[in-house]
Amino acid sequence: MTSSTPAMPLPTRRRMSSYARKDLRIAVFLILPAALAIFIVMIVPLGFALVASTFQYSLGQEDKAVFVFLDNYAKFFADPVALRSLLNTVIFTVLSLALCMTIGVGISVLLKSLAPRTGNVFRAIFAMPVLISPIIVSLIWRYMYDPTYGLIYYVLGLVGLQDFGGLTDSATALFSIVVTDVWHAVPFIILVSSAGLTVIPEELYEAARIDGAGAARTLFSVTLPLLVKTLVVLILIRGTDAFRVFDLIYGLTGGGPANSTSSLSIYAYKQAYENNQMGFAMAVAVITLIGLVILFGPLMRNSARGRDD
Amino acid sequence: MAKRRLTSAGKWAILIVFLLWTVIPILLIIVNSFKKAKDIFTDVPRIFFAPTLDNYVNAFTKSDFGLYFANSSIVALSSTIIVIILATFASYGLTSFQLRFANTIANGFLVGKLVPVISMLLPIFVIINAVGLRGTLVGPVLAHVALNLPFAVWLLMGFFRDVPRELEQAALIDGCTRMQAFWRVLLPVVLPGLAAVFILSMQYSWNELLFSLQLTTLETYTLPVGIASFVGAISVDWGLSSAAATVTMVPMIIIGFFVQKYIAEGTTGGAVKG
Repeated sequence: MTSSTPAMPLPTRRRMSSYARKDLRIAVFLILPAALAIFIVMIVPLGFALVASTFQYSLGQEDKAVFVFLDNYAKFFADPVALRSLLNTVIFTVLSLALCMTIGVGISVLLKSLAPRTGNVFRAIFAMPVLISPIIVSLIWRYMYDPTYGLIYYVLGLVGLQDFGGLTDSATALFSIVVTDVWHAVPFIILVSSAGLTVIPEELYEAARIDGAGAARTLFSVTLPLLVKTLVVLILIRGTDAFRVFDLIYGLTGGGPANSTSSLSIYAYKQAYENNQMGFAMAVAVITLIGLVILFGPLMRNSARGRDD
Repeated sequence: MAKRRLTSAGKWAILIVFLLWTVIPILLIIVNSFKKAKDIFTDVPRIFFAPTLDNYVNAFTKSDFGLYFANSSIVALSSTIIVIILATFASYGLTSFQLRFANTIANGFLVGKLVPVISMLLPIFVIINAVGLRGTLVGPVLAHVALNLPFAVWLLMGFFRDVPRELEQAALIDGCTRMQAFWRVLLPVVLPGLAAVFILSMQYSWNELLFSLQLTTLETYTLPVGIASFVGAISVDWGLSSAAATVTMVPMIIIGFFVQKYIAEGTTGGAVKG
């Protein structure tokens, strides 16, 4: 017997055998529960948020809700703290993304140049923070940034930079949180870009070497172009994560000092649970979603197209 | 040659600085968890000290840390089991039946991954509150199922696609029904994928803060919520919170060593193979 396999009857539009119809029933039965779960817990709440964002109401007093149409959205763009949160979110996303990608991809390229076994040991250690809960990361870095006992100040003091404001100065607080986010997220970039690097054929590096290309030339002409698909996926995942940042800020500063680290998620959270303005908070949540779609929508369509080939 | 030696030295310098940068913060918290307060609060980090287990004893006796630990285990386990069941069926359905809309549905799942948590939280909070389930573990379990399903379906679709079609067809020709072929032939082959989903979903649920923060009350706090309450206190008890943090994160770090190769594939929805 050769390994030629008889073709299974495929469901076609012309003739759907009872066999195929039964298959279709099984498939629907298999997919439906998961699709329903996503629909109920993700899509329905989104619809609810859209409707609720046009009302002014507080929790537990839904019967006193007043329909205000787009007023909540107008209020957002008239509130300086809201706009500050939007700006903070964009700054945080861009800065964190740029630093994470540069450091993460740089380290993975360095690791690839080591002997495989040494590289793997380093990679395993470098990846340690990847599964640590963000709230614990913020605990760790609260200690690192402690003005009296923190290691950051100790190290900066050694080089005469003890005046660094850290988390308590509104000029440096957001940057300090970015540093923490970089600590937490670079390991993830290293893992994914390393996986992407392993599929680049060795012959291409060989060829580059023969052509006399230096390390920098090889990086920009061979490695990065072939890594583009991985980089797009990484930017998508990391960028959307950074744009939604909540846990880290909640644990490190709570949005302070003077709202200098308030992000859209933190702002929405505070409006909902501290100021008890549910309708307005829903509007902020919807604006966050729209911001995500505007920033990352084009990339997402690209990456979905790339997936099919 | 001298130039090459210089770049090699530079390379190792970068790697060692990055090593210290990664490891020291983790080490500091673990070491602090074994220190008495007088050893934690020193201007120069103290390397030699008399170790103590007081912080661990305090965490489990004086705070409700043991309860949080139990709550987190229940939430993580039950949401993960539900995720695995739903995701295995769905990914099998999406890959093995040549459905016309399979790609559209799969992309729909992926979009779910990008919805901001805050825009899901507020409405879910309102709904859970209205049906009287706030303060039970049902809220976090449901939320974690939904948050984990998209990546789980994508990861498992990758595993099902890698199974040679001949394997399933041979089983069908031998007289198995579709579901028999699934249980006896396909499931054993995709077992590593199930293990990856199990661990990644467990860790996400174990670490998730925002939903648990709002959907639970004192008796149903999960670990991250408990730790957030330590951090949120006006003066942080560093010994106690370091012990709590160590107990929570060390299992994750150890598990991390074993699943690193799945993280790339699992979190990128199979776009990057680990």
